Amino acid sequence: MELEQLQKTAAEVADREDVKYVIGWKKGSYGYRVAPGFIEDAAGAAELIFSPLCTANLATYLTLVEKLPVPRGQEADDRKVAVMVKGCDSRAVAQLLVEKGIGREEVVVIGCPCPGVVDPELLAEKYPETEETVEIKWTEDGFLLVRGEEEIEISRDELLAEKCRLCRYPNPVISDVMLGEPVETRELVEDEGVAEIENRDVDERAAYWEEQFAKCVRCYSCRNVCPLCYCQDCILDRLNPTWVNRAVNFSENTAFNIARAFHLAGRCIECGECERVCPANIPLGRLNRKLAREVRDKYGFEPGVDPEAEPFQASFKPDDPEDFIL
Amino acid sequence: MSAMLLKKEKWPEFVEKLAGKKLWAPGADGDAMRFAPVTEGETPALDFNNTRVPPKEALFPQTETMYRFQLGAEEMEEPQLEDETVLLGVRPCDARAMTIVEKLFRWDIDDPYYVKRRELVTVVGLACSDPGLNCFCTSVGGGPASTEGLDLLMVDLGDNYLLEALTEKGETLLESAGDLLEKADSDAVKEKEKLVLEAEKKIKREVKTEGVPEGLPGLWEDPLWQNVSASCLGCGTCTYLCPTCHCFDIQDETEGFESRRCRMWDSCMFGEYTLHTSGHNPRPTRRERTRNRISHKYSYYVDKFDVIACVGCGRCINLCPVNIDIVEILKKVEEAL
Repeated sequence: MELEQLQKTAAEVADREDVKYVIGWKKGSYGYRVAPGFIEDAAGAAELIFSPLCTANLATYLTLVEKLPVPRGQEADDRKVAVMVKGCDSRAVAQLLVEKGIGREEVVVIGCPCPGVVDPELLAEKYPETEETVEIKWTEDGFLLVRGEEEIEISRDELLAEKCRLCRYPNPVISDVMLGEPVETRELVEDEGVAEIENRDVDERAAYWEEQFAKCVRCYSCRNVCPLCYCQDCILDRLNPTWVNRAVNFSENTAFNIARAFHLAGRCIECGECERVCPANIPLGRLNRKLAREVRDKYGFEPGVDPEAEPFQASFKPDDPEDFIL
Repeated sequence: MSAMLLKKEKWPEFVEKLAGKKLWAPGADGDAMRFAPVTEGETPALDFNNTRVPPKEALFPQTETMYRFQLGAEEMEEPQLEDETVLLGVRPCDARAMTIVEKLFRWDIDDPYYVKRRELVTVVGLACSDPGLNCFCTSVGGGPASTEGLDLLMVDLGDNYLLEALTEKGETLLESAGDLLEKADSDAVKEKEKLVLEAEKKIKREVKTEGVPEGLPGLWEDPLWQNVSASCLGCGTCTYLCPTCHCFDIQDETEGFESRRCRMWDSCMFGEYTLHTSGHNPRPTRRERTRNRISHKYSYYVDKFDVIACVGCGRCINLCPVNIDIVEILKKVEEAL
């Protein structure tokens, strides 16, 4: 996809009278960082980019807006919000539509076919971050890192994010405007990360997760970044009754992480944002993908693929074998 | 006491001499570093940049039991804090943060938990020879070898550590190491000075603070707050991992008849932080919360305690999921003033 086309489209959409702003990716403040950009007019669109560093799932901002009460005599601003989405991100939009978390008329979806993003931590580990912003481009079979005069070719396998290795929906499943040509869709591959944990015996698995959850500082960045964790009244914030104590210890941390994983079963669209933002590096992607796999294998359901689907956790089939009921 | 030298191969013996005290040092926490109690026989490694979670948790635990009680009974039991603790390898910025936070905990009344822990702790610092990408301590009154808040400063000179006692606690600690140490000659001291200068030069990021504390309240309605907070997720990463953030909540936790009152870290970036019982929230959106986070550090705290409540450790920049960068925010503040 050409940058020019992306910026031109964003400018056109931002200038539409029925659009409040376009949410896209822009260059961050240093190194490999990319920041979400909120573009209100055509001029702002020149800031936008699309590169292998655009890991953030911007669909989360669709439900993150804190609406203040409208003062008497004024009208609510109910213009649409336009959002740029990669394949995985578009699944979040589709799932939000399924759950009626947002209405189709509230959003303009700008689809960006995605050849796969880099794993930011792996990137910084192999090619240390510098204070200047660095550009990375897609090439035929990998990435090109441009640092000043220097250009470094990097193979796809070396830096591709784990979620992208497993991705089967690199092209947006829903869009109003599609940018560029679709990219090649990949086959379902074995999820080695999940299999590796599944292959351990139960004590080892328990010990593994105990160690992981013990690191959690309960900053809730995983919950807040998640496009599908959008309950206005989250059980974690409840004090009466207190479902999960605020205390940070293994027991409460486990309750929190497992509650979140269960609430996402059949809803998680595997964008990997929870794992990317976790300051404690807890492999939350594996946890959520395990449950996604259970739902897919046992019920043949995959969330965020069809915006017309019945929500998995809220639908009932009369011919359900119910063989889990003793 | 003058500066002393400790050969690096004697570091494990030095740590052994501290037996009997509770030791905290940076250790591997998965693939990141975090301060944790040192287990017996373990020698903490000091080759780290900085921990993700600041050592503030040694003095201000994320969850602190204030007292335990039984439902229906009148007695309560207070945990006793009496372990002498040594914090090893604290970066100068994090030690400075302790002195800043202490001003609040020693304000109107002494906070018994913080003050007691502070009295029981000896802070052994480790000067930075290779500051991180987002370090800006030199802009806010610190430096790679700042001694504020430290009892003892260690400087890595390659084959040796240079040790300088800064307080009585520090001297006692050096005395206990006894014959492991040699007197440092003037060359070693010169080498240290050279190293510190080099480290200072490596710090690339900078904030200008002139006029900021006085000017920030005047920017209350400035559009900059909407701009810088638009992408904020409202998570607690920046505050929980900040060495000077010190807000807490107090809650009772009950299991069966066993109860405890505890206080735990809270974050001004959470919506519920200022939510009133009536349902009203004076900081209803992330715009007001971001404005408060910056204003508290760079204006309100200065007004009250005459010091900026930011030590330039760069953690909030490094770990923000959406690249909200306090250096950039302060640039915008400066432009708006």
